[in-house]
Amino acid sequence: MENFLQAIDTLTIRFALAAVLLPLLAFMVNVCLPGKNNKVAGWISTFAILAGAVFSVFVFSKVWNQHQVHQQQLWFTIGQTKLYAGVLLNNLSVLMLLLVSLIALPVHIYSTAYMGKDENSKRYFTYLSFFCFSMLALVVIDNLILFYIFWELVGFSSYLLIGFWYTRSKAVIANKKAFIMNRIGDIGLLAAIAILFTVYHTFDIDQLFGANALVRSIAFELPGGWQYVAFGGIALAVAAKSAQFPLHTWLPDAMEGPTSVSALIHAATMVAAGVFLLGRVYPVFTELELNILAIIGAFTAFMAATIALTQNDLKRILAYSTISQLGFMVMAMGIGAYSSSLFHLATHAFFKCLLFLVAGIVIHQVQHAKDEYKLDIDPKNVLYMGGLAKKMPFTFVSALIAGLALIGFIFTSGYLSKDGILIQSFEWAEGKYWLFKLIPISAIITSLMTAFYVTRLIVKVFFGEFKLSQINPSIELHVSDGGWQYKLPLVFLSVCCLFPLFSFTPFLYERAWLLNGFQRITGLDRVNIYHTIVPVGVNILSLFVIYWAYAVYVMEKALPFPEGGWIFRLSYHEWYIDKIYNKIIVGPVLALGKFARWFDINIIDGFIHLLQRIGIACSKITDWTDRYIIDGLLHLIAAIVLSIGNFARSFQGGKVQYYLFSMLAIILAIFLFKILI
Amino acid sequence: MNILSSLIFTPLLFGLLIILLPSAWRFSFKYIALLATLIQLGLSITMYLYFRTGSAYAGVSNEASFQFVQKAHWINLNLGNTLGKMQIDYFVGVDGISITMILMSSVVMVIAALASWEIKSNLKGFFSLFLLLNTAVIGVFCALDFFLFYIFYELMLLPLYFLIGMWGGARREYAAIKFFLYTLFGSVFMLLVMIGLYLSVKDPETGNHTFNIVQMMNPANYDAESIFAVWGHKTLLGMPARTVGFAVLFIAFAIKVPVVPLHTWLPDAHVEAPTPVSIILAGILLKIGGYGIIRICLGIFPEVAVSGAYWLGLLGVISILYGALNALAQRDLKRLIAYSSVSHMGFVLLGIASLTPEGISGAVMQMVSHGFLSTMLFFLVGVVYNRVHDRDIYHFRGLGSLMPRYTTFVMIAFFASLGLPGFSAFVGEAFSLIGAFKSPSVNGALPYWMAVCGSVGILLGAAYFLWTLQRMFFGSLTLKGGEVWKSALTDLNFREIFSLFPLALLALVLGVMPSLVFDKVNDSVLALVHFLGFK
Repeated sequence: MENFLQAIDTLTIRFALAAVLLPLLAFMVNVCLPGKNNKVAGWISTFAILAGAVFSVFVFSKVWNQHQVHQQQLWFTIGQTKLYAGVLLNNLSVLMLLLVSLIALPVHIYSTAYMGKDENSKRYFTYLSFFCFSMLALVVIDNLILFYIFWELVGFSSYLLIGFWYTRSKAVIANKKAFIMNRIGDIGLLAAIAILFTVYHTFDIDQLFGANALVRSIAFELPGGWQYVAFGGIALAVAAKSAQFPLHTWLPDAMEGPTSVSALIHAATMVAAGVFLLGRVYPVFTELELNILAIIGAFTAFMAATIALTQNDLKRILAYSTISQLGFMVMAMGIGAYSSSLFHLATHAFFKCLLFLVAGIVIHQVQHAKDEYKLDIDPKNVLYMGGLAKKMPFTFVSALIAGLALIGFIFTSGYLSKDGILIQSFEWAEGKYWLFKLIPISAIITSLMTAFYVTRLIVKVFFGEFKLSQINPSIELHVSDGGWQYKLPLVFLSVCCLFPLFSFTPFLYERAWLLNGFQRITGLDRVNIYHTIVPVGVNILSLFVIYWAYAVYVMEKALPFPEGGWIFRLSYHEWYIDKIYNKIIVGPVLALGKFARWFDINIIDGFIHLLQRIGIACSKITDWTDRYIIDGLLHLIAAIVLSIGNFARSFQGGKVQYYLFSMLAIILAIFLFKILI
Repeated sequence: MNILSSLIFTPLLFGLLIILLPSAWRFSFKYIALLATLIQLGLSITMYLYFRTGSAYAGVSNEASFQFVQKAHWINLNLGNTLGKMQIDYFVGVDGISITMILMSSVVMVIAALASWEIKSNLKGFFSLFLLLNTAVIGVFCALDFFLFYIFYELMLLPLYFLIGMWGGARREYAAIKFFLYTLFGSVFMLLVMIGLYLSVKDPETGNHTFNIVQMMNPANYDAESIFAVWGHKTLLGMPARTVGFAVLFIAFAIKVPVVPLHTWLPDAHVEAPTPVSIILAGILLKIGGYGIIRICLGIFPEVAVSGAYWLGLLGVISILYGALNALAQRDLKRLIAYSSVSHMGFVLLGIASLTPEGISGAVMQMVSHGFLSTMLFFLVGVVYNRVHDRDIYHFRGLGSLMPRYTTFVMIAFFASLGLPGFSAFVGEAFSLIGAFKSPSVNGALPYWMAVCGSVGILLGAAYFLWTLQRMFFGSLTLKGGEVWKSALTDLNFREIFSLFPLALLALVLGVMPSLVFDKVNDSVLALVHFLGFK
């Protein structure tokens, strides 16, 4: 199983390993650093990720669209199965490697300012470096056991970071929820890995899903349809990590973590791991399974967009928009738009990260106002914001670019990636049963809803007047865009949200270089009308929607759905999904636990105690028998003997008169006896 | 002297020393006990390092391939012509499965000795019993003669009964007697089967009946007319005799593991036992159950084990889920951890029942890992209990800000126990489950649904541990005992960190380099699976 590598490949492997291990090193150094808010920690982590990013760029340039590099060595042997640990670099993994380090870098720089004043900033950077290590390792490793390991470590570091402010009870409830829901996906993944292993006897990703994929050459079939359990497991894993229905509810709650964490983990990288998993194991899916993925993705995208329309928490809106966009990616995988899905993953990472960083700055400023005037408000609530465009123009422009990219407006990267998915969904539905048409149509509707909630968000935050000042005129906001640690990341990410990074022709997504990096390309030829009509149509409709939303929120025209109607309530309460889960899952499981406890105490121990009582009762009976029957018999005999003795003794009085008297009586008795008989 | 015998009897010698020393020296006893366990640890590390691997050293059913063997005639009685000569040997030796158990036990014993610092009364009695117990448990893992095994096995009961009954909590007598009766119930019937086996098996060399466990594994050594003869098809109480024999031995070991529904001694014993005894109970004693099932039940009755694997797996799955659900409902932190032990040991049974190399190796790994982690968990509970004499989860909140170092270790122990990758429990649980998933298509011992249900245990494990973290350690600080507790709850001291750190490190090292266990275990497990009739 040894690969003969050329010298240059060995170098590539080393650089890739360096990119992965530097954050781990930073993590270890930070653990050992003294103090709670040691400034050095931030710079060590940032430097590690900066160097990692440089290495990633090099690795990317050596591997992208060239040959795949794979190297491994024996890790351990269990039974007759040898487990290898290794690095597998192909287009997919180097793309992710680059993407993760490029997103992590601005977030780290931003964090040095954003979290620098926190009293536990050292702990923050320690966790952050650990997260980066797990995520980077996840994308380059080459076997499924290691994949599972880093998959779960990513979830673990997310747990740590969501609960970073562990004295806030909301945060620790949220991180528990996130970990447990991710665990559901994890056991799905573990089951899928185990089933794949029983069929193919290997954990090696390259052998299983690579060029000569085992899953293609040998039919993946098990009696009783257990291969569908494997699919179900993968689907669960994807749903948990990438926040797809029905396991999406942890993501909005995860917004309790620091905003910079949300930007990195809960928008750009970790949540993309599910889509990455789909990309890794893609050949295993049958058409039916792909259709199911498409339906899950489209439904999630639609549902999350409807919820995002009415939320007031700035980060929650963004969280639901993340879920919605991830839905697009999963749907794209399902309809066979493999490369478009990964393309959207890449573009989304940049603009969503940017939006969260902007949100962080805004929330920070409102928080200052809150602290200064001792207000009892939620600094994340958009209803208290407004008019910030004039105060922080730099942030506003960044938000605008990111928002337009999220809408998929022309000249942005979002336009290129999302329209690709929309077009291919129409092509995919062509010639299928009419119900399949619902998927592209719902995707279009979702896209338009996106335009609405993005406009609502930007208008509420940046336009109009500052709401707190309206309520209480004495409040004045001293806000600004912040220092270079804020500005530099915003500039970098804003540039990455525009079209030139991905394609030199802003109108035609088919030309994007990223799409041509993957073999499974469909729909890149402009063969039909969809390629023109969909982008043009969506953009024009989006413009109308944007104007409409602007009209509603700036010029304060009436809403189409009155607040308080059932549609509004459904959206506002997030489709009541959390409440339903609490009722039908959490409650019954806890009740079952209580029942098990009751069963243990009353039935099992009850049985033991019954045995004990029976034992004691038996011994009491034997004791009684012993005492009264056996001993009683003995005592009876003794008593008889005693009384006879006593009786006989009474004759032995020692007085001669008595002896004579008794003798006389006996003789008389004998005489009488004789006479009578 | 043979290294294995020194390993077994070193603690006994030190125990005698403690008995002979005057009570005025009682403050030296803990150091003597610690020294004994350290010497023992040194010996077992030496053995581990010199342990040879390869199929020629696999052990299991081949007497010649055991290592560090010492065999001496012990009891030889001529019982006349009908019964022949009674042959009981002092026969000790190790293979891959026992060497890992021995090393793990030695580590746990050192930690238990360190945890004994909290014992304040009757030190002479405590430490001499402690060292006697130490001899007995190591003896169980080494003995290859059933009679010797049984003696060590019973010898564990006596010190444990007194250790719980005299140094325990409020309901210590109830717990001690419950523990004693439960275990005695198992071992009394084990005695009968042992005698039955003795009368069925003959040493091919001397022609005498023998208690040699390895010879009991060879069907050719059984008398054709004897009760447990492999091809004899004798019946006992209307059932095949060998099935009855297997079931009886299994029940005896299942009580130790413990397997639901024979587990209720465990929470009571743990709750009442002092910390060092809890550590030995969870860390080592439970493993004797698992070890016994592998060595004795599977070894002596392989064909019954194969046909009954379904039921073993079922009991394993029930233990996993039932233990986890119970843990979810506990208010007492120590009870919660006791039930989590039930759940985690269920994976051992499930892995063994899969009869695959992956599953059995996973089970051994899980035993080693649980040895370290349960030690850590009970030690940690002891820390908070010693300071305020309360363990109710709802009486604490936000300990994270008051005792940061303690909370760090609790988090490590909790996450390692719930199977976070990178720690040993993950390797154990994952491969037990992978074995269970592999079983239906390889040997048909278990159905798929058992593997799936087993994995739900991992989910529930996350639920009860994280919920506890949330309730006790996170949030804002509120204590039932107010300011008094606040000043009493000091962070970990040096001795405590010194005990906990190696355990955390071991769990981590085994998680990253599972080969430390698997390399030693592999040959034996493969030999065992081969012996059971599978590839």
